[in-house]
Amino acid sequence: MVAGDIVLTGLMAVLLVGVAALLTRVENWRSYTPLAGGGAVTGDETAVINREKPAGIIRWLTTVDHKDIGLLYGVYAVIAFAVGGIMAMLIRLQLVTPAGAILSNNAYNSILTSHGITMLFLFGTPIIAAFANYFIPLLIGADDMAFPRINAIAFWLLPPAALLIWAGFFLAPVTDNMIEPARTAWTMYTPLSVEQANPGVDLMLLGLHLSGVAATMGAINFIATIFTERNEEVNWANLDIFSWTILTQSALILFAFPLLGSAIVMLLLDRNLQTTFFAVEGGGPLLWQHLFWFFGHPEVYILVLPPMGLVSLILPKFSGRKLFGFKFVVYSTLAIGVLSFGVWAHHMFSTGMDPRLRASFMAVSLAIAIPSAVKTFNWITTMWNGRLRLTTPMLFCIGFVSNFIIGGVTGVFLASIPVDLILHDTYYVVGHFHYIVMGAIGFAAFAGIYYWFPIFTGRMYQRTLGKAHFWFSMVGTNITFFAMLALGYLGMPRRYATYQFDGAIAPLTQVSTFHQAATVGALILFIGQLFFVWNIVQSWLEGPKVEDGDPWNLERDGMLDREFQWFEEQLEADSPEKDPSLLADGGQEEQNDS
Amino acid sequence: MAEEPGLSDQYPTASPWPLFVALGLALSEIGVFVGLFPVAVFGLILFGGSIAGILTESGYVERPWPTLLGVGVVLIILAAAFALWQVPVADIALSNVGTGPLFTRLVAVAAAGAVMIAMGGVASVMEQTAA
Repeated sequence: MVAGDIVLTGLMAVLLVGVAALLTRVENWRSYTPLAGGGAVTGDETAVINREKPAGIIRWLTTVDHKDIGLLYGVYAVIAFAVGGIMAMLIRLQLVTPAGAILSNNAYNSILTSHGITMLFLFGTPIIAAFANYFIPLLIGADDMAFPRINAIAFWLLPPAALLIWAGFFLAPVTDNMIEPARTAWTMYTPLSVEQANPGVDLMLLGLHLSGVAATMGAINFIATIFTERNEEVNWANLDIFSWTILTQSALILFAFPLLGSAIVMLLLDRNLQTTFFAVEGGGPLLWQHLFWFFGHPEVYILVLPPMGLVSLILPKFSGRKLFGFKFVVYSTLAIGVLSFGVWAHHMFSTGMDPRLRASFMAVSLAIAIPSAVKTFNWITTMWNGRLRLTTPMLFCIGFVSNFIIGGVTGVFLASIPVDLILHDTYYVVGHFHYIVMGAIGFAAFAGIYYWFPIFTGRMYQRTLGKAHFWFSMVGTNITFFAMLALGYLGMPRRYATYQFDGAIAPLTQVSTFHQAATVGALILFIGQLFFVWNIVQSWLEGPKVEDGDPWNLERDGMLDREFQWFEEQLEADSPEKDPSLLADGGQEEQNDS
Repeated sequence: MAEEPGLSDQYPTASPWPLFVALGLALSEIGVFVGLFPVAVFGLILFGGSIAGILTESGYVERPWPTLLGVGVVLIILAAAFALWQVPVADIALSNVGTGPLFTRLVAVAAAGAVMIAMGGVASVMEQTAA
């Protein structure tokens, strides 16, 4: 132990000296010019600035530009999506046979836990932050975010968060299984999560806490940006729909994530310092469920509102019509935001809580269907009689609406107490929320990536590969998650690593068949994502350069938004024939006459 | 200003500090909660130092050293308050470091605070005498 401490002290000392040395190399601590409030450097300093950003890796490690940070978020989220997706494939392959095909029960539980946390906290929240960082300042005509440095801090908290959440997988082989991956499921219910002595659970909780701190810092930044940094032409009446959803989402984050952080600290204290917040003699195990779902249900809307905003922004562009009932889409966003804090106990109907309380939560949960349906009908009426152009982003938007209807309607049934008591903790719940998180949120993220691909890469993606990606994803999603709905009706409980039941509990043959169908669907989905990765990487490197600032021909319908106008200005500034002295940020001078 | 300009003076959209604020916070959390004494101390020093750096860089304060000293004082007060509140007075002794789960963690926080006060104090004095 003493030797370990000395080694650790040495390591930390080397790290700190290294950091200090690096900082003195790149930064002169005495040369600072006061620029509180993020104002530009003035006066004779202009002689010093020859470029916007340093070159190479230092640019990415030190950037406080919202567009760079948006790209960092995007790359991070796509990597997390790949990790979470591989975990999902392992889960599906395991369940091909009732006895489990490839994993031990412990490994299955670890992967199941990490899949959920990875997808929600390391893919879902960051991919939304990626779009918001890159495009909110452009859409509202701001120079940058209100707090550019806090923006960078929020991003840089995420890589350590991911390493901590996955720490058990890396540390188990080197610590002789002393530190293992957490096996608490993403909900971390007590008493299970208090009693698992494994230090990997502590590391996972710390990682989750850091990701919560990051999300809160980001939310404060978006609220301040949308309130204070708007261009004088942008007012509340003509604020775009994506900014409205990000504003609402940020408000939800502001109330929900600090609560998750506090609950996690309480859980850590229970685990390490013998407090009794969630012990029977203290607050009781159910207190965790209340605190967790008071965060957890708004989290669902934190994840789905901005994707709804993306669809509301993109779908009209390829329908040739303005968003139908814009005002009501905004009102429904705000209504969902408010109602989302009054539904948390619908996750707890089967815990034996007071039936009168239960009924009130059922009423509010059912009421959320109304604003959600308002949005759905508005998307459909936007397309009605429109001049539809089935580009890849449009296909993903339509896929979103279709999957959202199935995911939403199955949710209405679950909100009803008697139905929930039967379907609770079955695959029906898993199918329902995967229709939303993959079928809707994932699809909207893809729509956003394809729609704005010309802006952030300056190139065009390959259309055929994009369409293949859509169709594989659509078919795969529906096979996988519809099979899960059927599994739920058959009584298959969720989270199990094996399912060798007594035939009296569930019809084993049908259960196996639907599990196999779900696995086939997952394989189709997986192949679709290979098209996506190939398309994005190859097109980014070699795709045809976009010459026109309006690649989607939006001007014809008068729907060219501010971000594409900005893009057009960048293209003009980058074009050396027009004015060689004007080189936009990140652009490289190219000699065409040689 | 005779010195060479630093990175964040040359480039208006670059700052070296956010990365280290985040790394410092992450290491502090791991150190304090998991109970790794050296990680807690160095993590907190990195965190406090980066806060001092980022505040100076963005012009909210003129020099980093008083901030560093201030963060150190806050940490020591926090650690002392928790010790008086949660640890029996008889157990507060140097010989008990490494025994109680809470006490050892508080000593780590206080040690980081003490180092920051020392660094901030010495640097302030040196800067003033050099000027």
